[in-house]
This record gives sequence, C-alpha cells and structure tokens, in this order.
Amino acid sequence: MQRRSFLKGIMMTGAAAAVVSPSLAFSAEAPKGPNAMDLDTAIKAITGGKSVSASDKVQLKAPEIAENGAVVPVSVTVDSPMSAEDHVKAIHIFATKNSNVRCADVMLTPANGTASFSTRVKLGSSQDVMALVVTSKGEFLSAAQNVKVTIGGCG
Amino acid sequence: MATKSLVKIKPKTYKVGDVVEVSLMVMHPMETGLRKDKESGKLIPAHYINDVKFSFNGTPFTTIKSWESLSTNPVYTISYKVSEAGEIKVAFTDTKGEANENGTKITPKA
Repeated sequence: MQRRSFLKGIMMTGAAAAVVSPSLAFSAEAPKGPNAMDLDTAIKAITGGKSVSASDKVQLKAPEIAENGAVVPVSVTVDSPMSAEDHVKAIHIFATKNSNVRCADVMLTPANGTASFSTRVKLGSSQDVMALVVTSKGEFLSAAQNVKVTIGGCG
Repeated sequence: MATKSLVKIKPKTYKVGDVVEVSLMVMHPMETGLRKDKESGKLIPAHYINDVKFSFNGTPFTTIKSWESLSTNPVYTISYKVSEAGEIKVAFTDTKGEANENGTKITPKA
C-alpha cells in the first residue's frame, strides 16, 4: 500500500512539473520590457482610432527569410510628390511581435524630396514588419511583409 | 566618451535639385533591457538612441524617434533634395542623455 501511494505521488508531481514547466519556459523567453507596447495600442496612439488602409503607394522592402534576426534591413518608400500641400508627414515602422512593437517614428518635411526611410531592425521571432504612413491630407496608409527569422535577435 | 558616428551622402556627385540619400551610422550597443549579463545573471539596463535630428544650415528637416527594436550599430537613411551649398548636421541623443553631433558638407556641382 505504501509503495503504491509513493509511486502515485511521483507520477502526480511529474505530471504537475510537465504542466508548469512549459509556461515557465515561455515567460522566460518573452519578457516584457519597460517600453512594452502592443500593435493596437501603438497604432491607436498615432491614428486616434481612425481607419488605416493598405496601399500600393507604400513600398516596404524586407528580406523574406532573415538568417539573423538581430540585423534585418527594412526600407520604406512612399509614392508622394512631397509638395507643401501633399506630402508624407511621418513613417512609422513596427515589428508586430516584438515586446515593444515600435521601431522608429520618422517625421518628414517637403525638404526631403522623396519619402523614404531605411534602417535595420531586431526581430525576436518570425513576424510581420509593418509600415504606417501619415500624409498631410490626414490619410493613414500601411504596408506589411512577413519576415521569417531563423535565429532570434532579442535574446 | 564620444560615440563613433558617420554621415554619408549618396551618390557622391549631385546637382542642385537632385535627391540624395543621407545616412547616419552610429556605433551604439542599442541594449533592449531584456538581455541578461551572462556572468551575474542580472538584466542589462536599456540603452538606445531615442532621438535623431537632421538639419540643413540650421533648419531642421527630419526628426526620428527610435526605440530599442533597432539593430546594434543602427543606420538611419533618409532622402534630401539639394537646394544649395551648405551643411547637413545630425544630432542624436540616447537614453542616458548623451548628446552627439556629426555633419557633412553639401557641395553641389554646377
């Protein structure tokens, strides 16, 4: 009888450990930094709840497969005349699954000539990279591309 | 301790009215604040460039707010329409309050 209950106990703790450990491992993998912000909050802070439309005018270039997530080149070009009446006011770049989705907020003026911005971002895992463009007419345009990451960059 | 940086213009020769690429490259760790020190096991505090300002002859034309998601030794490339000879200055600040400035001259060919 004693031996049976002892074995039962071991099995129970084993099962409990198996249930707990994946969640522990997950929380260790995805810590939240002080700047953590999700995509919806970040977009709302910019648009104020207005709708965002996907547009061909916004061209986002990023590799489809990134071997190293620590350095992923991203470039955004917007088809815009960049005149005083009609220009791109801002380009925002988001990494949709990073703990802080915001990468860069670029404020442009007509003096730029063309609306373009390129940089290198860190991606924690495979995810969409998104560009949100604000024009002087008050439009919100977006473009997104999925990037597959084989080695994460936020480790 | 000054941070190493470089301001580059592409292409090298341009005329008035051309649109050139201005890029700022900085040697910076861009710590996310999520990484642990391997020896002590403590989190390394976040340390990244959060503000970049491009100006031409004292008039700012582009400002960039950046976050920790940019890569180590980041690059910021924007375009600029050449209007006259002058100087582009780039000022950048990181989260520890360290301010740096770098610049390059604009000399359009006739």
